[in-house]
Amino acid sequence: MQLDFSFIGTALLSLFKALPNTLLITAVSVLVGFLIGTAVALIRIYRVPVLHPIASGYVLFVRGTPMLMHLLLIYFGLPMLIDSIAGALGWGFRSTAIPLIGFVYISFSITAGAYMSEVVRAGITAVNRGQLEAAYSIGMTTPQALRRIVMPQALAVSLPNLSNNLIGMLHGSTLAFTVSVVEINAQAQIVAASNWKFLEAYIAAALLFWGMTILIERGTALLERRINNYNRGGVA
Amino acid sequence: MIKLSRISKSFGKNQVLKDITLSVEKGEVVVILGPSGSGKTTLLRCLNYLERPNDGTIAIGDYTVDCKHAGKKDIHQLRQKSAMVFQHYNLFKHKTALENVMEGLVIVQKLPKEEARKRSVEVLEKVGLGAKLDAYPSQLSGGQQQRVGIARALALNPEVILFDEPTSALDPELVGEVLDVIRKIANEGITMIVVTHEMSFAREVSNHVVFMDGGVIVEEGKPNELFGAPKEERTKQFLKRITSDWVYNI
Ligand SMILES: Nc1ncnc2c1ncn2[C@@H]1O[C@H](COP(=O)(O)OP(=O)(O)OP(=O)(O)O)[C@@H](O)[C@H]1O
Ligand SMILES: [Mg+2]
Repeated sequence: MQLDFSFIGTALLSLFKALPNTLLITAVSVLVGFLIGTAVALIRIYRVPVLHPIASGYVLFVRGTPMLMHLLLIYFGLPMLIDSIAGALGWGFRSTAIPLIGFVYISFSITAGAYMSEVVRAGITAVNRGQLEAAYSIGMTTPQALRRIVMPQALAVSLPNLSNNLIGMLHGSTLAFTVSVVEINAQAQIVAASNWKFLEAYIAAALLFWGMTILIERGTALLERRINNYNRGGVA
Repeated sequence: MIKLSRISKSFGKNQVLKDITLSVEKGEVVVILGPSGSGKTTLLRCLNYLERPNDGTIAIGDYTVDCKHAGKKDIHQLRQKSAMVFQHYNLFKHKTALENVMEGLVIVQKLPKEEARKRSVEVLEKVGLGAKLDAYPSQLSGGQQQRVGIARALALNPEVILFDEPTSALDPELVGEVLDVIRKIANEGITMIVVTHEMSFAREVSNHVVFMDGGVIVEEGKPNELFGAPKEERTKQFLKRITSDWVYNI
């Protein structure tokens, strides 16, 4: 059997059809995950009563189980939960009204949230305590100090890890095919199904992912240089 | 005017401040002296509520806080009455000199940006950094960073500025420029409380000296009283030791 190079090109073109789904899944899970992660990190750092053990348990469980498992648990579990709640409260809403990709958004956001929380937490802890004290000393409230002083520095520190997370979620988005969402991986399967040229289709998919990964890495490097320009000089 | 009454602070079983009572008049320059570990830093931090006293009351200007029952709002109000200049500067390192000074004016005092900018530039010029507005802390020398720190506190126009050993992290040749700035604002009648080991500076700028040891105020008075004729044995010993160190250093 020979590799059909021209079919790699053909497959690549048709994979672009599925690109929006891949990008959407990645973007939604990373953005929502970042919000969850920040909240969880703050809850754990400030040891917020009641929420603190819940947050720790969440991180422990999610990081201790595969991402595919989160997707399957949400995919099979959430409809049951929603339908029983809706039934008990007498709402007309049924879980079948939720598009499949909705389950992917929810489950991957949960996955990303746990990983991001560790990244954000490490970033916040890396910010010198004196920065927070200086913010307090000029009269800032804790939310002001976090938003204006601590978080920007924490994010600058965490940028490489956040970028790794983004790449992880991009690659992880391929798991969505298990619940019949047509992202790049599923599209590759569809393309190859007509002529059985699976290898070519998957090579095309790999190239596409590789290209996007390189873009993310380039973007991160650029952003890093801009954000960290305050670290230049280093006189003192 | 500032009035501390019966301030106590413990870290676990270690009682660091014991019933401290102190009054500071408007425009006074108070210098706090004392051996290492006597609680000087802790006292300043309590005033700015970076440490929470266990007991006592703090009154700054027209605002009084009972430390035992202080809520978030009290703390926030009290903090706005004072500003701190830190030993290690603690400038916001992701912001330029100008942004460091503007931050409190814009975010806390809610001044319009232009007005905040104008005032910040004025204050930075006053501390001799008119040419360094857009420099990040990492691009400034220690002495310059500390002067930005002073500008940041000064711009807020607080009732009192607290200095915790503002020159002790500096290379010797940079101490002078920072002391000059502090001297200058002391002469403008700004109330300040300064913890320092710079004896000649303390003697020259202060009009109220406090000697602390073991978490209590051992003795306080006018500089010529305390330096010239200390009453307490502990004060005498401390001054003797520190002046001989000073001579030795030269
Ligand atoms: N956050 C803290 N936790 C526990 N103990 C502390 C803390 N901060 C200060 N202490 C203790 O309180 C005592 C007084 O410390 P403080 O820093 O106020 O002394 P100081 O007079 O400023 O000394 P120095 O001249 O060395 O700066 C010391 O015994 C110190 O170990
Ligand atoms: Mg100290």
